[in-house]
Amino acid sequence: MIDISSLLESIKAEPYTELSVRAPHTGVVRFEGLQPGQRVNGPGGEWKEVPGTLIATITRENNPKPVAAADKGVIQAIHTGLDGKFVEAGAELGVLRHYLSRDEVVRMLLRESLSLFCAPERAKYYFVPDIDKKVKISGSRTVSVQDGMELFIASRMKREIPLCYTGPEGIIYEVYFNQNENVDTGSPLIGVCPPDQRGVIEDVIARVQMEWVEME
Amino acid sequence: MEKKHKVLIANRGEIAVRIMQACRRLGLDFVAVYTAGDASSGHVRLARELGGERALYRISSYHDANELLSVADAAEATAVHPGYGFFAEDFRFARRVTERDRRLVFIGPSWRVIRELGDKINTKRLARSLGVPTVPGSDRPIYDELEAEKVARSLFDFQLQQGVTQPLVLVKASAGGGGMGIEEVYDIDVFRSVYRRIRNYAMRQFKDEGVLIEQRIRDFNHLEVQIVSDRTGKRPVHFGTRNCSIQSTGLQKRLEVAPGFDPSSIEYGFDAAALLESITSHSLAMARKVGYDNVGTWEWIVTREGHPFLMEVNTRIQVENGVSASIARVRGEQVDLIAEQLRVGLGQPLGYGQEDISFEGVGVEYRIIAEDPAAGFTPWVGDIERFEWESRPWLTLHTHVPPVSPEEPYSIPTEFDPNLALAILWGKDLAEVRERGLNFLDSLRLEGHDAKGSPLRSDVDFLRAGTARILRFS
Repeated sequence: MIDISSLLESIKAEPYTELSVRAPHTGVVRFEGLQPGQRVNGPGGEWKEVPGTLIATITRENNPKPVAAADKGVIQAIHTGLDGKFVEAGAELGVLRHYLSRDEVVRMLLRESLSLFCAPERAKYYFVPDIDKKVKISGSRTVSVQDGMELFIASRMKREIPLCYTGPEGIIYEVYFNQNENVDTGSPLIGVCPPDQRGVIEDVIARVQMEWVEME
Repeated sequence: MEKKHKVLIANRGEIAVRIMQACRRLGLDFVAVYTAGDASSGHVRLARELGGERALYRISSYHDANELLSVADAAEATAVHPGYGFFAEDFRFARRVTERDRRLVFIGPSWRVIRELGDKINTKRLARSLGVPTVPGSDRPIYDELEAEKVARSLFDFQLQQGVTQPLVLVKASAGGGGMGIEEVYDIDVFRSVYRRIRNYAMRQFKDEGVLIEQRIRDFNHLEVQIVSDRTGKRPVHFGTRNCSIQSTGLQKRLEVAPGFDPSSIEYGFDAAALLESITSHSLAMARKVGYDNVGTWEWIVTREGHPFLMEVNTRIQVENGVSASIARVRGEQVDLIAEQLRVGLGQPLGYGQEDISFEGVGVEYRIIAEDPAAGFTPWVGDIERFEWESRPWLTLHTHVPPVSPEEPYSIPTEFDPNLALAILWGKDLAEVRERGLNFLDSLRLEGHDAKGSPLRSDVDFLRAGTARILRFS
């Protein structure tokens, strides 16, 4: 049984994450004049249709690509020395301190509470077509899984192999992978909630809703 | 070359290494790219060694055309070599490279040629219009399940009428290539499930659900004709044939031989010399018809009875170009097909004709791959700790694996093929090259471990077994 109280306390001791703002690709970077200490917003709206605060713009092949804050937070550092320069993919443009929201804390705690099914090897993962359709239309929490069920397609090095789920029966409560992105060995793919754990999960959510004070 | 060119090498690994070496041979500058996952690759090391830090740019993906072209501009490159895979056969990319504001030379066929021959359907139609035999089956992509099943049924019936006791149908992603997205159907009752699987795969990998249905010809050899032509497109020559029949269960090539058959030492049930002549002349006729203007490969199936069928045309340099080069001489001199591709791609005339090209001996290429043949050739991922071989005058080994040791291993990136090296051997005849091949494989030291501590798996034993049956029908 996990100790939710101590986990919550450890998160409260450092209630933020530091996010590195990196160049998504090569190009000439222009900063938008933000300074350390300034607050920025992440994408907003029901469908995240409102972009986050613009931090910089990277232009390559006449295509300006806005680099917006991925989350709300406070600018810790901004590397304005790169302004007007051609940067390589992955170059750090700044650092953002992001204070955790209730939902994020819930997700962190759920990761400790749910039964995780992890990637057996580094690969790209997809749900099998029938499950994929169901997840897209009705959401993952409508999908029940049981031991031995063919659930994923693992794709790496031009090869695709089916992957069966192993673990307790339950519903897919959380999905931790994105299509077309590599998942490292041992990283969780899904979090499954067995029927008898439902009460524990609901308790976690209720405690966070009551106890967590959002910093912003 | 009048203008001093600088070539952007829009690729990775072994082919990037070979393009850099060819650029050096021709006195061309180059700029290379790499992704974070490839930082320890030998191509990155060689780019630094030959060109310094400014000859190397980190990008987010080899698949991002915008990035590649922005690097080309930042580095003031004047040409782009796509290598193989990635953008090599993407006519839209070739068109963009050559028609943008800051125009660059695309080191490959012109985009119209890629468009015409890159599409399997167009190729099939063109071949049929020139009387070139093609594999029986659909001549357009099929998107409808019922129609696909109807075509499959007619192919089963056709084979039964031909006396084939166990008919087979091949379901292929129309936009696929390199053996990707292909499955065999033995039983018409399971056709639909295979069709759906390939259609889903094609959508995921190629963003196109089109599927081809063809007769699966059994007991065949896979031959290729290497074509080279300059920008006039009027004087294509061939650099002989290759036999690529020794493949993994996933239809991936593992061992290639040049020439395609060896009637001087193996008895075939047909006139092999005449057959090689026939497929080279058919390939050249098609190349002339479309004004082919760079390097390319015509891929053929040849049955045990000696019937050839054109499969497709690959409008790019192939992995196995080196094995053709190993037996080819231009006016008695050895040839580097990548250097030839660069030279004609940058506008130089070919400068020789078919009569200047001769062939000598037999070449074999081994693809050394980290994979487990006993488990369906599943790619093996882990660290390489030892990779050594004996240097020989008849051996050329191309690799992007840097020098390794147990203290400084090389981790195989999972994003790409687990190809480690290409070993190309030459012998004066088939017996000699076979013996040399086995000597080489015996001397090879390839060791490593995966994350669980299990030892490295490779296809070396498979290559050893394959050496005994090269240039033969199964």
